[in-house]
Amino acid sequence: MLRARTGSLLAAAAIVFAACGGSATPSPSAAPSQQASPSAAVASAAPSPSAAASASGNGGTLVVGLDGDMVFADPSLVSDGNSLYVAIQVVEGLVGLTPGTIGDVIPVLAASMPTISADGKTYTFTLRTGIKFHDGTDFNAAAVKFNYDRWKAYPKGDLQDNAYYYGAVFGGFGDASNLASVDAPDATTVVFNFKTPQSNFLVSQTLAVFGIQSPTALQKDKADTTPLKDNKYAQGQGESMVGTGPFMFKDWVTGDHVTVVKNPNYWDTAHAAHLDQITFQANLKDSTAKLQALQAGGIDLAETISPADVATAKSSGLQIVDRGQSCNTGYLGMNQSLQSSSGGAATPTIYANKDVRFAVAEALNKQGYIDAFYAGAAKVPQSWLPAGTTGYKAENMPAFDVNAAKASLAKAGLSADKLKIDLYYPSNVVRPYMPDPKSLAQAIAGDLQAIGFTVALKTEDWHGGYVSHATGGNFPLFLFGWTCDWAGADNFLYTAWFGWQNGKPNLQFGWANPQVNTLMTQALQATSPDAANALWGQVQDLAVQDMPTVPIVNSTPPGAYVSKVQGFVGAGNQTELFNSVTIQP
Amino acid sequence: MLRFIVRRVIGAIPVLFGLSIILFLFLRLLPGDPAEAILGQHATPELTAQIRTTLGLDQPLYVQYVNYLVRLLHGDFGSSFVDGKSVADTFLVRFPGTIELTIGALIFAVGLGIPLGRLAARHPNGWVDGIVTVVSLFGISIPIFVLGYTLVFVFGVQLHWLPALGQSDPRLGIPQVTHFAVIDALLTGRPNAIIDSFSHLVLPSIALGSIPLAIVTRITRASVIDVANEDYVRTARAKGLTERRVDDRHIMRNAWLPVATVIGLQVGGLLAGAVLTETVFSWNGVGSWVVSAIQNHDYIVVQSLILIFATIFLFVNLIVDISYAFLNPRIRYS
Repeated sequence: MLRARTGSLLAAAAIVFAACGGSATPSPSAAPSQQASPSAAVASAAPSPSAAASASGNGGTLVVGLDGDMVFADPSLVSDGNSLYVAIQVVEGLVGLTPGTIGDVIPVLAASMPTISADGKTYTFTLRTGIKFHDGTDFNAAAVKFNYDRWKAYPKGDLQDNAYYYGAVFGGFGDASNLASVDAPDATTVVFNFKTPQSNFLVSQTLAVFGIQSPTALQKDKADTTPLKDNKYAQGQGESMVGTGPFMFKDWVTGDHVTVVKNPNYWDTAHAAHLDQITFQANLKDSTAKLQALQAGGIDLAETISPADVATAKSSGLQIVDRGQSCNTGYLGMNQSLQSSSGGAATPTIYANKDVRFAVAEALNKQGYIDAFYAGAAKVPQSWLPAGTTGYKAENMPAFDVNAAKASLAKAGLSADKLKIDLYYPSNVVRPYMPDPKSLAQAIAGDLQAIGFTVALKTEDWHGGYVSHATGGNFPLFLFGWTCDWAGADNFLYTAWFGWQNGKPNLQFGWANPQVNTLMTQALQATSPDAANALWGQVQDLAVQDMPTVPIVNSTPPGAYVSKVQGFVGAGNQTELFNSVTIQP
Repeated sequence: MLRFIVRRVIGAIPVLFGLSIILFLFLRLLPGDPAEAILGQHATPELTAQIRTTLGLDQPLYVQYVNYLVRLLHGDFGSSFVDGKSVADTFLVRFPGTIELTIGALIFAVGLGIPLGRLAARHPNGWVDGIVTVVSLFGISIPIFVLGYTLVFVFGVQLHWLPALGQSDPRLGIPQVTHFAVIDALLTGRPNAIIDSFSHLVLPSIALGSIPLAIVTRITRASVIDVANEDYVRTARAKGLTERRVDDRHIMRNAWLPVATVIGLQVGGLLAGAVLTETVFSWNGVGSWVVSAIQNHDYIVVQSLILIFATIFLFVNLIVDISYAFLNPRIRYS
């Protein structure tokens, strides 16, 4: 009796399996067996994602632990790392990055790098031909124009609020956008016309946010619908994220996972995906749970693990992701002009004195912090930018030297009561450049005490006002950092730190150096990359003379994977493509 | 009986209304700002202000509250500040996971707790009773996350007997139809999928069920000992009934009442415990959702969820009260 039952269950299972492999199911992973596949190896792809990887190492399902859930399935509306990590597998822009680098820009949907007019205001791209979107429609110049026009026209409210990057890169939407127009004179030519030259254009366009999506799908699914709770495209309830990439969006269960499947018709056959499917687990928020999931085999790769877990991960046979170049800077902010949170006049601080700033810079044992809190996966900054960003220039930064620091502090001649200082650090947060803010703050306080300061540690919730109080100039001395949006000098030096707003220096530091502001404005509008980089170099030269803030660390957050995963290329900006990844049986 | 139910339901309204006000104010007293949570490192004062306007957070508190209440009365639980998703939609995706986990924990706690309690009561203060007492004290005092991590370490990481996270193995490609992992697995008809979904339930159910197990065991033991000393039990024995019949018909029937009450009360505790359990086991349920919503200062989600939890708790208590009448026909409601 029991045997008969099991038999019928097995028969039922066999039918389900047969249905998966044989008929034309909507699951794209089944497609390779029926269609002419770009590479011979792919033809042997398993009929169902549940089947084990084939002997060649192709196929199979990779389970990736993300740091959290996606926010929207329309890449143009996101600015968080989890959404971007998935989106980069599915959508492609005109340009992208060489895998493993943070700033090496290469053509992707463009056939070559653009020609730039002498005045730097016109970029002309020639596109690759024969590329199709995941919905089968053609990729061409009209599609590129459609996407850029769509973003520019986002109305105020939900869409503009979420499309942070378009606003940040082009200075606003609609008429405020520096992108005057995008023309498509023929099917393979796209011309970008700017109001003023924009030297960060190419590097910023490597973000998945600027991935080109199928105009047909965007229109059919009414991707511009607001409020966003009713926007099926953005919520991933159906056809979403319709791009040209090596993987195609399949489904998204809120709070649980996102699934992408192999694009069997990927245009770049040499770089077509090996895996049949990737499931991005979105629910692994707890670092211990994440490590245990790796050890128990529930996930194959974790985007990041806590630096504190690296030793355990290694000893249990896991591979650690080497992210090479860092794309962040953690720093100790010094504010020369403290803004009153109640709206009163700003007051100068001891950090307005250059000798004090140098004393602080010389007092910090940065390598010691890296050894203690970053599992060694970090470097002492040689400038304000991480090495590898465009415009980076190695500077002669003040070295850790207690005697020099004491001398600088003595030279500043502060009275005893001025040596009592407050140091702010954020609570309830872990940042890539700051895995343990409190311990880092304690170590820094110790180093500052050693040269004669008396330090009181203060904290605020990261989401509870810390960020806006830091950027609003309400903290005198504070831990902070910046993770690159794109690996350009402008993103760090101008956007994050020293850019002037409304004719005033950035409130974070109150560093009122007009020459820096002039140089940065010129650099942003430089007509050639070389000219821009030379100007950014000058900004870094001025910064090292003035020490407006102390860069402490450029970190490369560790990730981990099981040893059967091969071909994964880590990158400091966590822009990591999975088309090269295989699972060894 | 009907009148009793109606009265209880009406009585719940002021409770929920009061709770909604307290929740609303309490959440806004916490340091934090959803606009900053959304913007992250991009949170400049200007952008923060812009997003606060879009979300309506720049309006006076009473206006925000009245707006919220009006929407609530129309059956709209609002939508998340962070991802714009409707709370009701996400609830339908995530609540099944919590229900499965709670049922799993209850089955573990009741299925094991009542036999253990009866066993311990058979010879009070004997060695069996001693062991049961120690085990239940252990269950009640060990924090869920310690037990959870330990279970995963032993049975997941070391022995590889049971999975460490989630409700199902994504490699099996089980379509999520109902979002009840077990039901979705049953729908596929594939034995490996069905076994997989049950195996995912084992460790979290034990972790979440450990405290209720201890409580159910203790109460059953106490209640059985209590009833066993009643005159009617002695009379039953004197009539010459078998021990088994005395146990089933005369002792347990009467001992059930406090046990049922405790089980009902534990449902509230289970919902609270689900917050921790779901985090440890990366379980896609309402508990882990509450955690991320609190971290993101997603007020609307938190207050709506807690209101829903409270309603469920009140409802379960009502069911428990009604069940008394069935368990003990001497109890009548009017």
